[in-house]
Amino acid sequence: MNLSAKKDSNTPKSQADLIFEAQQRKELQFKANVALSWAVLIIILLFLFSGQNFLGIKTIKLDTTFIRDNLVFIAGGLGETIKISLLSIALATFLALLAALGRLSTFPPIYAISTFYVSLIRGTPLYLQIFFFFLALPQLGIILPGLWAGVIALGLNYGAYMSEIFRAGLSSVGKGQREAAIALGMTPGQTMRRIVLPQALRFAIPPTGNEFIAMTKDSALVSATGFVHELMWRSTKVGRAQFHNLEALIMAAMFYWAMTLLLSYLQSRIEARLSKGDR
Amino acid sequence: MVPIVKISNLDKYFGRLHVLKNISLEVMPREVVCLIGRSGSGKSTLLRCINFLETPSRGTIEVDGVKVEGNEKGKLNRELVHEVRLRTGMVFQEFNLFPHMSVLENVIEGPVMVKNMDRDKAIALAEKNLNHVDMLWKKDEYPMRLSGGQKQRVAIARALTMEPKVMLFDEPTSALDPELIGEVLTVMKKLALDGMTMLVVTHEMGFAKDVADRVIVMGDGELIEDAKPSDLFNNPQDPRTKALIDRYRSGEQ
Repeated sequence: MNLSAKKDSNTPKSQADLIFEAQQRKELQFKANVALSWAVLIIILLFLFSGQNFLGIKTIKLDTTFIRDNLVFIAGGLGETIKISLLSIALATFLALLAALGRLSTFPPIYAISTFYVSLIRGTPLYLQIFFFFLALPQLGIILPGLWAGVIALGLNYGAYMSEIFRAGLSSVGKGQREAAIALGMTPGQTMRRIVLPQALRFAIPPTGNEFIAMTKDSALVSATGFVHELMWRSTKVGRAQFHNLEALIMAAMFYWAMTLLLSYLQSRIEARLSKGDR
Repeated sequence: MVPIVKISNLDKYFGRLHVLKNISLEVMPREVVCLIGRSGSGKSTLLRCINFLETPSRGTIEVDGVKVEGNEKGKLNRELVHEVRLRTGMVFQEFNLFPHMSVLENVIEGPVMVKNMDRDKAIALAEKNLNHVDMLWKKDEYPMRLSGGQKQRVAIARALTMEPKVMLFDEPTSALDPELIGEVLTVMKKLALDGMTMLVVTHEMGFAKDVADRVIVMGDGELIEDAKPSDLFNNPQDPRTKALIDRYRSGEQ
């Protein structure tokens, strides 16, 4: 931009410069219009919940006293939500990696375990799985604290889905890479650890970020057990008790949305860094 | 003198396809042997059998006194195969540098991981070999930032740093832009002059003519001619060799 500005004053612009500038103007204009439209949508949303009567339109009135009184209580669930999500994604990543490696195995039982796990978990609802670990296991004498039942259920579930990400990552590493390592005399273990995995994981980082963002929202399902006091549980508790479900759920929604925006921003930063990295 | 590579009665099948037919071949220490032939003649497969990237279906392969018997089931003695791989260095058509490692890391990976070489010692050796292929100045770059010719020279240094007895080259210049072929061939000539034993699968007839001690022509999974380059180029015996050389000559003009 600076360069072209300098050019303005003395030399005449070339055809290429003009076309390039026109393209840039078009792109900027598009971005500005999108931002403007977002602003309008947010204003409309705020207006709809303002409780004002405007030109005969009756808008929704939220109980601000309720919001003020319960803000701290509901926000107190953020930590728990983040904790569940972090623990679950760690478990899911570990399981996904094992399942993906299992799919590469030429030993039939290992291959079978991996496909069996993915099939069973993907064939049943997450909601059911959470209840299974929380409500069904106690019948067998296994009593898991609510948090751990949730983490295990979410981890197992996301692990099965994420195993596909890792499988794609592993198959993105060309055959030539393995051959080069083998020709150097590296063992299969060394080849996997030193050559294949580092490249596969790099490939898998952005989609894993997407899964993590999705998981922060699915962690709300764990509230169903009633023993994990995360965002969703807290908002339904106070909402039901005082019959202010509207306010309570909107508050929780805003917290989830804010969290997602923040995580998406962080992820785009990581992706940008990876793509310009020294590959 | 004892041959450093000795292949006896080697057969290789890909499924039902018989790609190498009862091949026997000896290479003496310090010899430079070029394998030429049309694509699909089995020359790359033969080269890849020497370090067991392909499993021989029958026959024996002996490298520097380590003898491995091929068999139909494809079960090879793992330790012996490892010994053979330690004695052979390989350079691939597609370079196959490790993209997540710098040039120097690429070159020391083998010695450090496979030979448990002291890191400092490996670095010293790697720098010596990188210097030999004139790539020391790029030692901290990542492969992505190198040209094809530079990548291939690093790949040669990587193989050399394992201190192999025999170097195997699988069409080392076929993936390169024409103007980059020369720098790789120059490095290979240098290696030949150093006395390295080399087996080179190539389409570069000029290189075969000028540098090789022997040129072997392959066709349909068999060795159809094995001669000194001067004899082969001036007086080819087999019509297939003749066709190959005629095509090269017409391309040269």
